[in-house]
Amino acid sequence: MTTEQVVSLRQITGGRLQRFQAFTVASLLALAVWQLATLISDGWVPSLWRIMEALGEDASTASIYTDMWITLRRIFVTFAAATSIGIGLGVAMGLNRRVMAFFRPIVVMGLAVPDVVYIIVAILVLGTEESSGLIAMVLALIPFVVNIVVGGVGARDPGLDEMSAVYRLRRLRYLVDVVGWQVSPSLIVATRTCFAFAWKLIVLVEALSQPRGIGAQIYYSFRLLRPDHMIARALLFIVVLRLVEAIIFAPVEKRFLGWMR
Amino acid sequence: MTHSGEYIRVRDLDVSYDGITPAVSALSMDVAEGEFAAVLGPSGCGKSTLLHAISGVVQPQSGTIEIAGLPVGAGRGDDSVPIGYVFQEHRLLPWRTVAQNIAIVLRAAGVADDDVDPRIDHYLEMLHISKFRNTWPLRLSGGQRQRVSIARALAIQPAVVLMDEPFSTLDEVTARVMRQQLADLWQRSNQTIVFVTHSIREALFLAGRIFILTQGPARLFDTIEVSVPRPRRYEDPRLTELEAQIVEHVMDEWGYGANSGEEPRE
Repeated sequence: MTTEQVVSLRQITGGRLQRFQAFTVASLLALAVWQLATLISDGWVPSLWRIMEALGEDASTASIYTDMWITLRRIFVTFAAATSIGIGLGVAMGLNRRVMAFFRPIVVMGLAVPDVVYIIVAILVLGTEESSGLIAMVLALIPFVVNIVVGGVGARDPGLDEMSAVYRLRRLRYLVDVVGWQVSPSLIVATRTCFAFAWKLIVLVEALSQPRGIGAQIYYSFRLLRPDHMIARALLFIVVLRLVEAIIFAPVEKRFLGWMR
Repeated sequence: MTHSGEYIRVRDLDVSYDGITPAVSALSMDVAEGEFAAVLGPSGCGKSTLLHAISGVVQPQSGTIEIAGLPVGAGRGDDSVPIGYVFQEHRLLPWRTVAQNIAIVLRAAGVADDDVDPRIDHYLEMLHISKFRNTWPLRLSGGQRQRVSIARALAIQPAVVLMDEPFSTLDEVTARVMRQQLADLWQRSNQTIVFVTHSIREALFLAGRIFILTQGPARLFDTIEVSVPRPRRYEDPRLTELEAQIVEHVMDEWGYGANSGEEPRE
């Protein structure tokens, strides 16, 4: 092993060690604050031990996995629809001034409308069917995705556009190889944001209008005044979402941003 | 070399930015087939705009540009002659390897799939960068990236290669090596090249003929034949003498004369 390799290895392991130390300190601090809140809340904030017990209880029931699957399915449907429509619209707006002029006010308005309004309006118009909540979520998420993608397309290198024109790249090749890759960091940010928002909003929709799903279960625990189960169910689902992120998003990010390293 | 014929024919060209600010005004010039022509002018005079117009990226307000008798068209996929372009910055796609960058323009130029790889290998070999075939552009030095950019321009076997101050961002030593390689390459290929620069010495070293432009909006001020035989040396005293003559010649026109009230910047 050369000196450079040894130094580089030390840098990598040193960096990891630092990150691990920071993570450990932050986690311990958060747990300590939580425990303190338990002591001064007169029982309303469940202790860490009670949450662990509830976690074990919930994890051993079959229905929690059915609820998880229902919520995950809803998240993916909402996420897929919002990202594909949002990315398409964002790219079109970034490349075409007329499309931008037409949709910009709608997107700005869409960003300003509180998410809960989408949900309530969808329930009032379409009823409490599952699809009404999903439509409301898609409509709520699209402006966020569009906003991020438009920024990415607008910040592209005009020199590469010029190169594409000089070498007469076909429209599709230009969109994929020149615009698409330049915008890929924004697209990844947009999809991650969309995924995170989809989870937060779907839980809200489920709590307000659905009998099944993690959101409905959290709300059910709230009505029964069982905060330990509320937190346990949320924690279980957060673990699942982190896994999904590690399995799907991390490799995609590595694939599309590998050239930067 | 004598310069006869009108392979690139520019007539009464007017180009402006957004139809308001004129960049090129009533410019006419001819470049012969196989000629290495330099376009020399002060910074910001409209040299690059002239190249953009010749490449078809920018539409002129008036005037005509023809290459090999065909009018230059703008946009993608038209029937006009293929043009290779080497920009001031390399303008390679950083998310594509060296070979992929060249392959993209080859496919756009309609090169058959079977010919793409052999052609990439040939031009990388010619520019001495074969070992970087599968490397990301971000891993290359400035000079290596510019070599890839030249390989990309030549690989489509264009009717004309346009070069817009391609060595101006490189350090002087690398730039000199690159100029020498370009001169050697041109002598072997006899490709028609239009090379834009603001360096008189660079124009003298590389070109057979120099079109000197005025301050912006660019008009043709003068045309100079460089009769120093090839291969040339960058330090050749004859080039130094010619350089001094050109500096004196353009001083007034470029705004540094006795009546201009300005000192030369360089």
